[in-house]
Amino acid sequence: MSENEINSKRFTKTSLVLKKEFNEKLAKGIFFSMTLAMIVPLLLIVSFLIYKAWPSLSFSFIFDMPKNGMKEGGIWPAFLGTLYLVIISLIIAAPVGVMAAIYLNEYAKDNWLTRTINLAVINLAGVPSIVHALFGLGAFVLFAGMGTSVIAASLTLAVMTLPVIIASTKEALSAVPMTFRQASWNMGVSRWQTIQRIVLPNSISGILTGIILQVSRAAGETAPIMFTGAVVFVPIAGDEVLAYGLMDKCMALAMHLYTISTQIPNVPESLQFAIAVALLGVVLLVNALSIGLRVYLRTHRKW
Amino acid sequence: MVESTAKLKIEDLKISYGDKQVVHGISFEIPRNEIFGVIGPAQSGKTSMLKVINRTIDFTANAHVSGNVKIDGEDVFKVKDVYGYRRRIGMVAPLPVGLPLTIYDNVAFAPRSFGLTDKDQLDALVQRCLEQAALWDEVKDRLGSLGTKLSGGQQQRLTIARALSHQPEVLCLDEFSIAIDPVTTMKIEDVLKELSSEMTIILVTNLVQQARRLAKNTMFLLNGELIEEGATDHIFSGKASNPKTNEFVSGAFG
Repeated sequence: MSENEINSKRFTKTSLVLKKEFNEKLAKGIFFSMTLAMIVPLLLIVSFLIYKAWPSLSFSFIFDMPKNGMKEGGIWPAFLGTLYLVIISLIIAAPVGVMAAIYLNEYAKDNWLTRTINLAVINLAGVPSIVHALFGLGAFVLFAGMGTSVIAASLTLAVMTLPVIIASTKEALSAVPMTFRQASWNMGVSRWQTIQRIVLPNSISGILTGIILQVSRAAGETAPIMFTGAVVFVPIAGDEVLAYGLMDKCMALAMHLYTISTQIPNVPESLQFAIAVALLGVVLLVNALSIGLRVYLRTHRKW
Repeated sequence: MVESTAKLKIEDLKISYGDKQVVHGISFEIPRNEIFGVIGPAQSGKTSMLKVINRTIDFTANAHVSGNVKIDGEDVFKVKDVYGYRRRIGMVAPLPVGLPLTIYDNVAFAPRSFGLTDKDQLDALVQRCLEQAALWDEVKDRLGSLGTKLSGGQQQRLTIARALSHQPEVLCLDEFSIAIDPVTTMKIEDVLKELSSEMTIILVTNLVQQARRLAKNTMFLLNGELIEEGATDHIFSGKASNPKTNEFVSGAFG
């Protein structure tokens, strides 16, 4: 080959480059189609639910009492019950989980006890919710004598969400670089002062995101509350926000949906779907909040 | 060397992590108010030695330390107020660390943590430390911006300013220049020469020429053993007592 020929071919694609480009496009295409395959069912589910629920959907649907043996009317007692369960369970689980995670991540030495606890946390996070339900029934409802009540159900939900809160909080804490802590310790600043001034301010968004994601899990679970606090119907005054006491039985959205769909004959189909939309709406709203926090976290990174 | 001029006196210092011993019984003295160079290749125990001196080795779970470390005749492992003790030692790590706070708060962090809240005093302290670290002129108009957004060299000077903020008696620098440019390095070296009149400086470095430029006395560590210690001029003269020292300073290994 003359020098001119070599020069003219220097920037043309060889068969190797063409093959590489083809593989690149193929890989990208496969991953993109998988992403689509994930989104399409979600969109289908949501649009199908809303389409089916349309005749029953209205603003007052949420704030009305069920009527006519729950075949008509709204879902207020169930909506309120779910709010109660979620909020109380978080009030219990969030502080305990966050503080335990701070201990595990910031103080605990790497010994067999810590490793055992970490292993237990990971495994507890994977326990099926029906097992938590039975635990709650045994521990809170029967042994502690709480009966089926808001507090027993909330505690059961708290036990269920606790390991995940610990795991996500630990994740958020360990995302703060170790060098920040060392720099702080080097100056005679104590561990607790370092946690307060350096570690927590820079991980709080991640911690909150983890906690909020647990809201959607707690709101959607049926099994843990079925045996421990949620019942088919509780008559409450429609205008009262503090309708349930801690020791009362309550209604809940997930339970209500289950009852309406399986236990009561001749319920209009749109009512079931409307409840599903309300439940989904609560979960998506909470998730949107956590996505918002994530965006805030990304734009306000301090390092 | 007269005993009373030694700032730090270290006797038979042994450090091990788990089963692995990294420092094998070294003894030396660090004279007051001058720059003391520590040279040696990686894994020679330099950083571990500094961690013992400011007692952050306490945070390493499996570390075991024996021997005597005395500052002004006082055993550092018997000090009651360990946080107060760490304030007496300034520490600058190899990689620049800007804490995720404003430049002002970076420097005011340590003083605030032990109770200084007076705004005027803090202002004066922050300015003095930043001036000493040769950073004031570059940041005086933006003390409220984040320390983490500074360039690497500026962050390293910020780290030095932070180490000075708790008014240490001993300043330890652990390979401070490996992540910064030569011009900044020279700037900081000038700063260190100034500071050495008022505090003891331990300069751990893998740039042997840096020790030669700055240190009055130099110690050569190799694999956790003290090979040689003495006047820097002697260590670098090529006529050091131990042939390994001559080889190391001339760049034959390390």
